[in-house]
Amino acid sequence: MRLATRNRLSSGGVLSLPLVWTFLFLFIPYAILFIYSFWEKKFPTFVPAFQFGNYLELMVDPQYVRVLLRTIKIAGLVSLLSLLLAYPYAYFLVHKVKRPGVKLVLYMAVVLPLWVSYLLRAYTWKTILGTQGILNSFLVSTGILSEPSSVFLYNQTAMVVTLTYVFIPFMVMPIYAALEKIPGSLTEASRDLGMSAIQTFVRVTLPLSMPGVIAGFTMTFCLSFGDFIAPFLVGGPDGMMIANVIATQFGAALNWPLGSALALVMLVIVLTIITLSDRLQGVGRGKYA
Amino acid sequence: MANRNSRLVTSLSVVSLLMTGTAPAFAEGELNILTWEGYADASAIEPFEKETGCKVNATYVGSNDDFAPKLAAGGGVFDLISPSIDSTAPLIEAGFVEPIDTSKIAEWDNIYEKFRNSGGINKDGEVYGVPYAWGAIAFMYLKDKFETPPTSIAELWNPDLEGKVSLWDDKSALYVAARLNGDTDIYNLTDEQLDAAKKKLAEQRPLIRKYWSTAGELVDLYAAGEVWISNTWAGYQSSLLADKGIEVVEFIPEENAEGWMDSFMIVKGTPNEDCAYKFLNMAVSESGQCAVANVNGYSVANPVAAKNCMTPEQFVALHQDDPDYLDSLLLWENLGERLGDYTNAWNAVKAE
Repeated sequence: MRLATRNRLSSGGVLSLPLVWTFLFLFIPYAILFIYSFWEKKFPTFVPAFQFGNYLELMVDPQYVRVLLRTIKIAGLVSLLSLLLAYPYAYFLVHKVKRPGVKLVLYMAVVLPLWVSYLLRAYTWKTILGTQGILNSFLVSTGILSEPSSVFLYNQTAMVVTLTYVFIPFMVMPIYAALEKIPGSLTEASRDLGMSAIQTFVRVTLPLSMPGVIAGFTMTFCLSFGDFIAPFLVGGPDGMMIANVIATQFGAALNWPLGSALALVMLVIVLTIITLSDRLQGVGRGKYA
Repeated sequence: MANRNSRLVTSLSVVSLLMTGTAPAFAEGELNILTWEGYADASAIEPFEKETGCKVNATYVGSNDDFAPKLAAGGGVFDLISPSIDSTAPLIEAGFVEPIDTSKIAEWDNIYEKFRNSGGINKDGEVYGVPYAWGAIAFMYLKDKFETPPTSIAELWNPDLEGKVSLWDDKSALYVAARLNGDTDIYNLTDEQLDAAKKKLAEQRPLIRKYWSTAGELVDLYAAGEVWISNTWAGYQSSLLADKGIEVVEFIPEENAEGWMDSFMIVKGTPNEDCAYKFLNMAVSESGQCAVANVNGYSVANPVAAKNCMTPEQFVALHQDDPDYLDSLLLWENLGERLGDYTNAWNAVKAE
């Protein structure tokens, strides 16, 4: 009895700090954003109100939908490119690298860049992709190009490359974990029953690793969806993403209500994606576990 | 109105308190200044601190858009700010700044009359800012890339320069496009004129390498050979480039250039009023005026002080001898309720 009470107390004690944290730094700020999103822009700043004008404007003015679609496109491309690179890498690590030391080094090679500031890593791409950058010097010195090209930097491709580089660890880690969990006996059984290596991969390994793929896709998508540094550093005149628009509404336009409405739309999209990914992972588990 | 605003400010400061957890403490004799890089240079600040005992902490802004949000997010941090003349009206209107007793500014009458009477710092018979520095939003190009020096804004729409053009990522881009369209009343554009400017900028976009946002970014773009022509804060980036051995030439185009002027304003409720006035006096004295002229390459608001502390060459180079030059610039104006429309128009160009 006394023990149970003490247990409850101590678990309350353990949980209370994260709960306070969540309440103060997640719930309250979002509640404030929510309230602001109904306020009204009125020179010089904005005034309390309850109206849906901000949400209406987001639908009526085509620029917001356009930037939103562009952001979804870029985040989608980043996730896809990350997947195409990360899956073979993780597969290679789990199945082909036999020595644990080498495995650890190769795994850390992916994870280690996370210890370096994001800004620094994104900035580095400027020096690689620029007109007088490393890539151009290489291509010119090897004779592949006759003169430096400007196509590598300040466009959406540069943004996709940079964001892929920055967020790819979040794809490698869950896929690696998922692949490593698959018991070797399953693939052996598949081979014993006459399946080819490719058939085994498509029908056993890939389905069983899907939870990792979905988790990785969700993380890279959501992280690049909210990014506003890459457009600023390596994006061109068509690089503005939704987070940049929110920043200008809070800054230049001093229209916090519209910025809040936009931020909430973004939050809803991200939450939808996370919910969907949760469902998908549930389906995967139900079917194959 | 004032009441509602003060309530807004209070509630916002509560929010910011919750968000930051701690409130910065006021300290008597300590000035917190929100300003541009170079405006609190050691050459002026160190003697000032020694003489007055007022300690100066400077926080730098990257754009004029940073002043209002920082003040709206809760008072009590900054004592002085230095926004440009197009961003002052909302601060006055919202009650973020205090009227200034000009009788306490010894050199007030030496400041250009055009600035002292400017609508940007005057309201209902009260003065809200002490003019500090000014200049043009000039244009600039890489010297060795142009055989005939460009003289018109139209050069930034020249298809031959595809991928070599840059423009400031600011509503100022609309001012540039409007002037090219022949709409000279750039601060009072009608909806049609604003739309035409938008179209003009959309037309130019394929030629743009990158819209620049900070002074350092533009310098990097020129230094890395990415950009050959752009607009610029006259005097500033060109001298940074000159230090790197890159030769650029500034010019005022046929379509004219915008002018800007920064003034220091006192944040409402500052507990350091004494130090604030001492700082304002220093800022428009020889020490403050020549510091900004030397560090940033900007022209200054007090030509009398400038004459005493500048070499004759610098005095002429910064147009301090030439009131007509100042008059020819389209001095930035507050856009009032139209600010939102201008900002949205510029965002729409970038959203295309």
